[in-house]
Amino acid sequence: MTYKMRIVATALASISIAYPALADDKTIVIGFATAESGFMEAYDKPAQEAAMIRIGEINAAGGLLGKQIEVVKADTKSDRAEGAKAGLSVLDQGADLVVVSCDYDFGSPAALAAEDAGNISFFLCAESVKAGIQGVGPRSFSASVLAAVQGATMAEWAFKEKGAKDFYRLLDTWTAYNKGICDGFDWMMPKLETQGAKLVGEDTFKNEDASIAAQITRIKSLPKEPDAIMLCTMMPGAVSAIKQLRAAGINSMILNGSGVDGSYWLSAVPDLTNFYVPVQGSIYGDDPNPAVLKFNATYKEKTGADPSSQYVFPGYVMVDLWAKAVERAGTTNADEVVAELEKMKDEPTLFGPRTFTPELHHQNQTRYLIVETKAGKPGVVGNWTISEPVPMEALLK
Amino acid sequence: MLQILFDALSLGSLYALGALGIALIFGVMRLVNFAHGDVIAFCVFALLWPSTDAMAIVFAGQLPWYLLVPFVLLCGAGLSVLCEIIVFRRFRQANPATMMIASFALGFVIRYFLLMLFSSRPKSISLLPELSQPVEILGARLPLLQLITIVTTMVILIGLTLFLRQTRFGLEMRAAAENFSMARMLGVRANRVIMGAFALSGALAAAIALIFGIQTGTLDIQMGASIMLMAFIATVIGGLGSLGGAVLAGFLLGAASVIMQVMLPIDARPFRDAFVYGAVILVLLFRPQGLIAARGTKERV
Repeated sequence: MTYKMRIVATALASISIAYPALADDKTIVIGFATAESGFMEAYDKPAQEAAMIRIGEINAAGGLLGKQIEVVKADTKSDRAEGAKAGLSVLDQGADLVVVSCDYDFGSPAALAAEDAGNISFFLCAESVKAGIQGVGPRSFSASVLAAVQGATMAEWAFKEKGAKDFYRLLDTWTAYNKGICDGFDWMMPKLETQGAKLVGEDTFKNEDASIAAQITRIKSLPKEPDAIMLCTMMPGAVSAIKQLRAAGINSMILNGSGVDGSYWLSAVPDLTNFYVPVQGSIYGDDPNPAVLKFNATYKEKTGADPSSQYVFPGYVMVDLWAKAVERAGTTNADEVVAELEKMKDEPTLFGPRTFTPELHHQNQTRYLIVETKAGKPGVVGNWTISEPVPMEALLK
Repeated sequence: MLQILFDALSLGSLYALGALGIALIFGVMRLVNFAHGDVIAFCVFALLWPSTDAMAIVFAGQLPWYLLVPFVLLCGAGLSVLCEIIVFRRFRQANPATMMIASFALGFVIRYFLLMLFSSRPKSISLLPELSQPVEILGARLPLLQLITIVTTMVILIGLTLFLRQTRFGLEMRAAAENFSMARMLGVRANRVIMGAFALSGALAAAIALIFGIQTGTLDIQMGASIMLMAFIATVIGGLGSLGGAVLAGFLLGAASVIMQVMLPIDARPFRDAFVYGAVILVLLFRPQGLIAARGTKERV
């Protein structure tokens, strides 16, 4: 008995010796409670790589508050229950900032764990208003831009810059992200209607629909082909919808959210034209900001491949903003850093200005680059900032 | 109006082919094969070279169509037969529920195998792009593929009917579907018939995969799931084990789905599938044995 007790005591002692070593005061710890395996991995990993690049830059420049940033990780295995455990795991390892999965549903368990522990959490690239104060708590932020801003941006830009008058709204009811894009569009449309635009029809489909033939028939039976179709959808159904629209001979402008950015799928719709996507930064080598080009080169050097879509960039923005707030607060204390983050107004980043307020830890108005795909080749054709921020009631619809 | 008919027929064709694949196997061994959807996904991914990059590396997908089609069909049939030999053969004596669970498990294995090789990111591929041209028929403008889907399905259905009615193998298969142990006693070789059914069902899955791949240009490891669900429902409404019933119900489901999409007001359209399933429940309330009940499944006294 005493022998066993001694083993237990030794084990306990060794744990208690090891534990403080992790929560060392000489380093600042960023904990990634993200998916390293399973479904979400493909979405979390690119943004996480970008975050690692910014961490590397900060460390190379002498660190944060004179301390090196250390990274700890826990795999959520693309599972919500595992997500909560992963959150606790990185907190146990002394994380000052908990980074969680791209998506609200997958990231919120870990974010809630951080919130309960009084720590800051950052969603890598969630675009729902819930990824923040509204769905987690006052210490939670998202590094991306609200989906509604994307829909509003595309509608206003198409009307003002491309002279589109007749709009058609096609919503894929699968996710809150899709609905978010159309919510932004719905909020913008009445403003444009007073200036001469018109919503000529609307319809819904489901991402997994094998065919959207019936929806296409409805568009074709309009007296005149609409100038622009606001397509609120995401992968993989987006490609299918776009392909079927074009195969049916509908040549209207197609406006989208950022979810369809990337050239990896363009082979499915050869010679796609008149197709527009809002992006935070360009992956096509033509970003107006040379620093973005430099980032893309670094990313390729580190990972062996070019960024596959704009969803790489928020990871970089996240570390950048948080580190600035820590620097200004002079501490990693969560409440003081939150206060600094909330003071940010049009804080410049490589990928457009960022603002946080005590009401919203997300972007409800920011600059987007517009990427046009012409004859199968995507490229930046301009940029747009919506004339006023998307109000809370449109976001919470 | 004609346009709607074509829309309904082409969607119905997909469901009918899927339902047929499930009904064939159910007929010979009372197995509801839930791995069928994952066989569909596997067949599309067989066109690519394994890689987890965002950009798909097209491999077999570059073959000309006269090689591509047999290749994909063979892939489907091969995988399906392999599933039979490795997994289902060991469950021959097990009760249907056990087999169904085994098929779920097998489906997961196939899906996670694809996840490992290709990652969860959907991939894109341009398969036979010439089929994505619009054509005009009797005033209805529709993608060529829609037409080909309908025609191919008809050809497959007629071919299969002839095969089942006119050949010895078909006769054995029908006999096995009706009363398996009796058929065996009369000299029908069980393994051969079952493997044949699996091969046919796999080839049907491959046909769906091809149509799906060409139509959507998208490959996703979960792409078989929704078609599988619809196809399974079609086999149930059609009368489990009844091939004709499965096909009929597949077309009806496709038609119901398209008609609901056309008729429902915009606010109710997101709930289209709920209405379709509601219609399914109604059908089953009035005909619990299915539209065309299979003879082999009737209780005998």
